[in-house]
Amino acid sequence: MDSGESSEESPAQAKKGKSKTPRKPKASVLKQKSPAEFFAENKNIAGFDNPGKSLYTTVRELVENALDSAESIAELPFVEVTIEEINRTAFNSMIGLIDRERIDEALYGDFETAKAREKRLAKEARFQETQAKNAALGKKVKEPTSGKAIKGRGEASFYRVTCKDNGRGMPHDDIPNMFGRGLIQISCSFIWDKVWAEANTWKIWTWCKNGVDLVKDENIPHIHLHEKRDDKEHWHGAEIQVVIEGNWTTYRSKILHYMRQMAVITPYAQFMFRFISNTSDKNVSIRFARRTDVMPAVPLETKYHPSAVDLLLIKRLIGETSKLNLLQFLQHEFVNIGKSHAERLIGEMGPDFSSKTPVKSLTSQQIVRIHQLFRQAKFDDPSGDCLSPAGEYNLRLGIIKELNPDMVATYTASAQVFEGHPFIVEAGVSLGGKDVKQGLNIFRFANRIPLLFEQGADVVTRTAMKRINWNSYKINQTQDKIGVFVSIVSTKIPFKGTGKEYIGDDISEIASAVKTSIKQCCTQLKSKIVKRIQAREQQERKRNLSKYIADATGAIYGILKEASQLHANKKKRLEIKDEDAELLQKVSSRLITKEILSEKLAQHVEQVDYEMAMEYATQSGVREEPREDIYLQSLEPQMNFVDFHSPVFVFRLFQ
Amino acid sequence: MAEKRKRRRADSDSDDESVRLPFKNRLKPDAAILSILKTLTEATKSASTSKTLTLSDLDLSSTCREVTDLALSSVQTEIQTLAISLAKSILAGNGFSFSVPSRAATNQLYVPELDRIVLKDKSSIRPYASVSTVRKTTITTRILSLIHQLSLKNIHVTKRDLFYTDVKLFQDQTQSDAVLDDVSCILGCTRSSLNVVAAEKGVVVGRLIFSDNGDMIDCTKMGIGGKAIPPNIDRVGDMQSDALFILLVEKDAAYMRLAEDRFYNRFPCIIVTAKGQPDVATRLFLRKMKMELKLPVLALVDSDPYGLKILSVYGCGSKNMSYDSANLTTPDIKWLGIRPSDLDKYKIPEQCRLAMTEQDIKTGKDLLEEDFVKKNPGWVEELNLMVKTKQKAEIQALSTFGFQYLSEVYLPLKLQQQDWL
Repeated sequence: MDSGESSEESPAQAKKGKSKTPRKPKASVLKQKSPAEFFAENKNIAGFDNPGKSLYTTVRELVENALDSAESIAELPFVEVTIEEINRTAFNSMIGLIDRERIDEALYGDFETAKAREKRLAKEARFQETQAKNAALGKKVKEPTSGKAIKGRGEASFYRVTCKDNGRGMPHDDIPNMFGRGLIQISCSFIWDKVWAEANTWKIWTWCKNGVDLVKDENIPHIHLHEKRDDKEHWHGAEIQVVIEGNWTTYRSKILHYMRQMAVITPYAQFMFRFISNTSDKNVSIRFARRTDVMPAVPLETKYHPSAVDLLLIKRLIGETSKLNLLQFLQHEFVNIGKSHAERLIGEMGPDFSSKTPVKSLTSQQIVRIHQLFRQAKFDDPSGDCLSPAGEYNLRLGIIKELNPDMVATYTASAQVFEGHPFIVEAGVSLGGKDVKQGLNIFRFANRIPLLFEQGADVVTRTAMKRINWNSYKINQTQDKIGVFVSIVSTKIPFKGTGKEYIGDDISEIASAVKTSIKQCCTQLKSKIVKRIQAREQQERKRNLSKYIADATGAIYGILKEASQLHANKKKRLEIKDEDAELLQKVSSRLITKEILSEKLAQHVEQVDYEMAMEYATQSGVREEPREDIYLQSLEPQMNFVDFHSPVFVFRLFQ
Repeated sequence: MAEKRKRRRADSDSDDESVRLPFKNRLKPDAAILSILKTLTEATKSASTSKTLTLSDLDLSSTCREVTDLALSSVQTEIQTLAISLAKSILAGNGFSFSVPSRAATNQLYVPELDRIVLKDKSSIRPYASVSTVRKTTITTRILSLIHQLSLKNIHVTKRDLFYTDVKLFQDQTQSDAVLDDVSCILGCTRSSLNVVAAEKGVVVGRLIFSDNGDMIDCTKMGIGGKAIPPNIDRVGDMQSDALFILLVEKDAAYMRLAEDRFYNRFPCIIVTAKGQPDVATRLFLRKMKMELKLPVLALVDSDPYGLKILSVYGCGSKNMSYDSANLTTPDIKWLGIRPSDLDKYKIPEQCRLAMTEQDIKTGKDLLEEDFVKKNPGWVEELNLMVKTKQKAEIQALSTFGFQYLSEVYLPLKLQQQDWL
């Protein structure tokens, strides 16, 4: 995945490094780069290493922005994602290129040379031969694999990704800029190729056709069309359409996984996902229904915690603050610093500082001193109030909704702190369910966003695989279908790697919080599992006990029979009690047989089974599973009603 | 010139010698070592004339269970009586159950006077009509009936044979093996009296002559491999020996070295190994040798917790077989080497020592808690040293000074210095 890094050197750099002839010093060595250029050179950082990944990243960015947009106005999100496959001709006509016929076939990568052709024909002949043989032998004939179309570079598919939400929309005038350079995350998608965007705002339809060209020194988006229209349907939100080069076949499962995990962590949202292909049999259409109308609270804006700031940030805060002196600055720009605490801190800073020191006059050295003290001093931990976790309830609903497991347990740990940043770990563990593979299925979320890549090194994966003794919770790590869901929410997620796709395993605070949360879930599950095992034992007890009757009585009867024969032989008469002798006598005269022993033992088993069933019933009583509220979505949000108007009132009759 | 070179070579040869075989120069002539050994043998012989203690001689607060060798006919009668009582119980409509002496760790007791582990009298009921025990109970009846057949026909079979008579029921051999020990406990007899033996594992070589099922065996004339210890101790008799001591070796490799070097001819001894954890036959054989020949037993094991554990199994018995510890243990085994203190004493180079794993250290610490280690202060000291240095070494570490260092320098020196615990 990271291999792109080295090859993505900009042509300018490459020249500098490799050219041996001395060059004249250029006038401007330092050159400002447009966002478009930057991303073009660092595609892997943005998640655009290859066509497949960029399709995935585009979907991801659009969906996440759509959710944010709806949540910011406290609207239950409804997000529609459509991916349409576009063939080259259609694409060319879109960007105004004329589709040219190939004249010199040998120029192209997918041109079949004479040698390759020979090879292919031989292979096909061999295949047909074996097919004929198999058919003659009456074996099932394999479907002939349709000759894979050899895809050249030029043949890469293009996709139109459309994402429609019911969020806040965007202001008309900002739209071109946002797509051009402002909204960095979205803009990533636009660099890949030509882009069109359509967006709507509250009252007025804004229609904007917009393109960003990958041209050096070009910072300004190309606006093809930008106009306002009337909004007749009272719709609000944004509909964004992007056309990019992508690869559906290789990233199909990743995109579907992403949508599914998103549905797990945001059960209050409704998603509609469609893939429209050139060939209709490949079409996909999945609806992720809403399961609750409880949305997590919008995170509160919070001040910085003194342990979490760095030098640059302090400088920035000083630049932005409206406070005049140092005391006020400390007291108001940071959390967990009270007035007296601030005074003590200032006293500790040294003789150069006083409460009255104007903040803006602080020298660089003084700022370094403040930073040092922040690092060393002890502050109260920041509270987790500023975080917006998914909520245990929602996580649970999401798991139930998307996986339909046999059992599920969830747990939310209280907020903890890592380097001045509060974090909350929420975990869920499920057993069984649909579309879950055997063994561990790990679902990772960071700030309520699914993480799909670089799973191996992640703290959650490591913890679940290595540090949880599943056996002790009566869970079989390889046989059971285990779903592990861990959502970490923090003001700063300590991502590792360039792609922001995993959280390192080296932060002991987070690792131990993850472990405790998963263990808590397991403990909850264990009691359920034990109960289930007991119930199963109840059902299977009689069968298990009866299974061995023949073996046991057969063995005992065998000994008795041998003994009775010995006993009958006068010379070897055994020295035993009379009643025992009598029993042996009965065995020889076949008054006691194996069948009689088996029958008696079976009767005993029956009786024991009955007694135990009674005991189980009295112990467990009539117990019902706790009930859960279910969410029913209203089919038609608009009520049908008839208004009866009178001069003084209106009487509204709902139907 | 030639002479000079020759001399130099001679010099360097001698240099090599002392470097390659350190401490060799400290060795006294064999005769001196032999006289030391003789006094040891004499002392052992005179000490062991006193009668060995048995459980009944002691006045223990808790009652203990011990099994005895039973004649075949009594085993047969015992089984029949048991079967009759089971049948009666079934006919009375009560199902049936066994009372099985518990062989769990909590039911074990180390008796310092006897220097071995014995089984306390706790036992558990194994009823047929219970989901948790139904399988084991069935296996127990099956094993009982199989043993009964053996007793009727008077033949011996191996544990593997027994397992294969009903693979479907037993599922794997550990299950039938465990139940076999249970049956020994239920009937109160040794496992040998059930006519079930384990496959041959142990070997013996050296100054020993004994009869195996009537054939006289001279263990000096058994080649390098030695004589396999008969799985059935009843076959063994008429032991004679002119050895001065018995050398117990943990591993096959060290045993082979000593056998090939004919160590027993230089210092008259009997060399025994069970190739790792000792089986019942080897333990019985060692005890028989010790009892009849009254020779001192010296043990050569690895310097790791498992070496000491193996030593303790020979000496005090294993927990699994503690019901028969009276017949299986050999008292007064001396720990000759390789001891943790030897690593520095014999300057075993660092690269031949291994770091102990977490598990090793844990085992070592657990051993320190065991009574049979505590009773010997020398052992405690050595084990403490091992846990402290966190280093272990196998007998083979001595090969770093040459393959024959073990038989030519290390062992003779150890014997000369009477360096055993």
